[in-house]
Amino acid sequence: MKLSSIEKLTEWRSVLAKKNASGKSCLCICAGTACQASGSNEIIRATKRALIERRLLDRLSLRITGCHGFCEMGPFVLTEPQQAFYTQVKAEDVPRIIDAALAGEYVEELLYKDPSTGQKYYHRGDIPFFKNQQRTILEANQKIDPIRIHDYIAEGGYRGLEKVLSVQDPVWVVEEVKKAGLRGRGGAGFPTGLKWEMLAKQRSNGGKFLVCNADEGDPGAYMDRSILEGNPHSIIEGMIIGAYGTGATSGVVYVRNEYPIAIKHLTAALQQARTLGLLGGNILGGGFSFDIEIVRGAGAFVCGEETALIRSIEGKMGEPRQRPPFPIQRGINGKPTAINNVETWANIPVIIVRGADEYAKIGTKNNSGTKIFSLVGKIRNTGLVEVPMGMTIKEIVYNIGGGPVGKAQIKAVQTGGPSGGCIPASMFDLQIDYDSLSRAGSIMGSGGMIVMDENTCMVDLAKYFMRFLKEESCGKCFTCRKGTQRMYEILDDITTGKGTLEHLDLLEELAHVVKDTTMCGLGQTSANPVLSTLRYFRDEYLAHIQNSRCPAQVCKPLLSYSINNNCIGCQACGKACSVNAIHGERKQRHFIDASKCIKCGTCRSVCKYDAVEAA
Amino acid sequence: MKRDGRSYVVAQVDEREVLAVVAKHEAGCGGLIAILEEIQAIYGYLPEQALRQVAQATDRSLVDIYGVSTFYRSFSMQPRGKHRVCVCLGTACHVRGAQSVTEEFEQRLGIQSGETSEDGEFSLETVNCLGACALGPVTVVDGKYVSKVKTSQVRGLLDKARKGYAQSGNGEDKEAFAIAVSCPVCSHSLMDAGFPLDDHPSIHVKVSIDHQEGCLRLSSLYGSGSLASECEIPPGEVAIFRCPHCLAELTGADDCSICQAPMAPMAIVGGGTMHVCLRRGCPGHLLDLQ
Repeated sequence: MKLSSIEKLTEWRSVLAKKNASGKSCLCICAGTACQASGSNEIIRATKRALIERRLLDRLSLRITGCHGFCEMGPFVLTEPQQAFYTQVKAEDVPRIIDAALAGEYVEELLYKDPSTGQKYYHRGDIPFFKNQQRTILEANQKIDPIRIHDYIAEGGYRGLEKVLSVQDPVWVVEEVKKAGLRGRGGAGFPTGLKWEMLAKQRSNGGKFLVCNADEGDPGAYMDRSILEGNPHSIIEGMIIGAYGTGATSGVVYVRNEYPIAIKHLTAALQQARTLGLLGGNILGGGFSFDIEIVRGAGAFVCGEETALIRSIEGKMGEPRQRPPFPIQRGINGKPTAINNVETWANIPVIIVRGADEYAKIGTKNNSGTKIFSLVGKIRNTGLVEVPMGMTIKEIVYNIGGGPVGKAQIKAVQTGGPSGGCIPASMFDLQIDYDSLSRAGSIMGSGGMIVMDENTCMVDLAKYFMRFLKEESCGKCFTCRKGTQRMYEILDDITTGKGTLEHLDLLEELAHVVKDTTMCGLGQTSANPVLSTLRYFRDEYLAHIQNSRCPAQVCKPLLSYSINNNCIGCQACGKACSVNAIHGERKQRHFIDASKCIKCGTCRSVCKYDAVEAA
Repeated sequence: MKRDGRSYVVAQVDEREVLAVVAKHEAGCGGLIAILEEIQAIYGYLPEQALRQVAQATDRSLVDIYGVSTFYRSFSMQPRGKHRVCVCLGTACHVRGAQSVTEEFEQRLGIQSGETSEDGEFSLETVNCLGACALGPVTVVDGKYVSKVKTSQVRGLLDKARKGYAQSGNGEDKEAFAIAVSCPVCSHSLMDAGFPLDDHPSIHVKVSIDHQEGCLRLSSLYGSGSLASECEIPPGEVAIFRCPHCLAELTGADDCSICQAPMAPMAIVGGGTMHVCLRRGCPGHLLDLQ
């Protein structure tokens, strides 16, 4: 079926919405990458089987959705309209959940319980993790089966496109996005409307390109994957609206090869949109044409940089080039090109449907809208959280994230990935937005927020990022190529007990040189992990250098393992040791042979009696 | 396949296959990278012979091809082992101990990450981020995601891989079950108890391809790909299914989300619709229970 006009789409939406509003109960099960890793496929299969064998489909339906964000608790089942949220479900729990959903009752022991207070929640919306968020983008994920365009349309999808095609004024589209104050969600925070205005002004007889950057190379961030997997049509709609506003003729989604489910769902969504006449030639009979293709990346962090990304799309090595000319002037195949990140595109339909003025009320001045963070690391509630700009780190970490997991205190959060920096717990009152983070020596980046506690060594973390950067440096600018390598070597010396105080000055000097003399964003920001840890955690560097001690007990060469009097001789450590470094008779205290020990810590993790000590 | 001096498996490259891949991707964006990705999907790595053929077919110098092949992290120029272990080294996994997990794998396998064991059994790789950050440290063993990995689990994971994981992608779809279907047009049952497949009555349809027509029986075990066909359907070809009773064509479902071929709808006894991809060899199917 092809929809030949705006009216046909509106009509069809009301038919679909009526069908959905039948009041039938529904089980929603997340099949995002994280929940699949936790075993949600098995839950889905058990549910399908039960629904068919018990002939329950008239009374209960099943919706398989993308990521809801609370990945820590997966696999889970959410019931509608009850909104009961069953966590860490097993296949054998499914029949009970179905019975309860049919009877309007609850399976009490499977409901989410707050791990610290023990309080049970009957309604998903009351759970602090969800209650304290403002989910304008992620909320849609739970209502949509991503491979069914019907779901998206029934939930109001493509209404933004309808509005744009009715107004029939590209300038209005760009003005709305400008007025909304949307800034690029990929990291640097460039105003999206301004970028579009520049693209709209470009003259080109060979067409113009729009790109959705779904390379999400920032380790520790996965909101783009979750949007692509869970709601691919929101990206497609955003790009069609963008094309109408800027006069672009072709779109490209550049997506990581590490995200197979996202690629699969996006491929299906593009096909469905074309079949319905929402994408391709003569969209909705309005005479406007635009199509999108998928290009898969092959794993290079530098390809998140826009000129490198363009080269990669052209099938070349992803080396950045000097700007100007900017991609807006000369991009893919020399044609004007505007690149926006996945989350930015997902915001576009929201802005158009709600109106720029309404949208601009969310967040703070100059930083409007919501931002999705991936709250991960040493925190209780790991997952994706969406909050209005301007929320403090403290609110995110404690009210939504639920604070630390064990006894160890939270020490810092790291934002912005390898280009970002660490913010110490003493600054957790900081309101998060593009400007405040950069003043604190970090960046927003794509929204990774990695929480670290006392068991995380900040020198090791800086070394981790520097190793990442030296490997991902494309090698074009020698200050980046050699500078990241040398900074890594110095950090490695410090973590292995070979550091000197002069190293710290050298490290700082190098960091500034690399920052000032490299061409692209990777090099210019590569000093941030070093500079921010030096700024806030200098004492840890000093402990490594002056006392040959790693306070977090992470840096192996500075550690030694021993077995204390708690040992009862259960032999668990000896069996687990991969180098046979542990000796001792059964029921006798064991000993570690330091000459053989590789300090892997396995013995400590298997000991139930706290008998293995590290110092 | 043959074994070379280093004892792991070197692929025999079929030039026609390589040329077909080049032809498929030459026009669109991404060009060379898409070509190399598909070649790697076929052979598990990028064989030198295939790269030479790509260079010739695309009229580029071998240096260009080599440059792209070595620039991107996901390409490998070395044959990979039978089992693949991939440890995520994203930041979230790192702060939860991914480095120790990697070292434990290296220790147990006696190789460094990026290498393949002498016997060709295991390849150990690391990746910058798999996007499952909430569950770190994450490791993928033969396609199966394992979350919150501890060093003490490593030995067990390797043992399991040697014995073989179910080849079912990410999840453990252990709980197979049979479904019964009928024709969506005439409602006549399509089940054939006289011809069991996987120990269950099979689904019976008429299949036609080119000018041949015959009976096709599909396993009713959900997720199983077993079938028996009277006429030969070459892999990759799209067939047409008809109801053996009313002879109506089974059509009208959405296209396959994997290969975009049409799918055939069948009504499930008990409610809902089953969609089966009509392309031979494609595992695409959809159980629509809304």
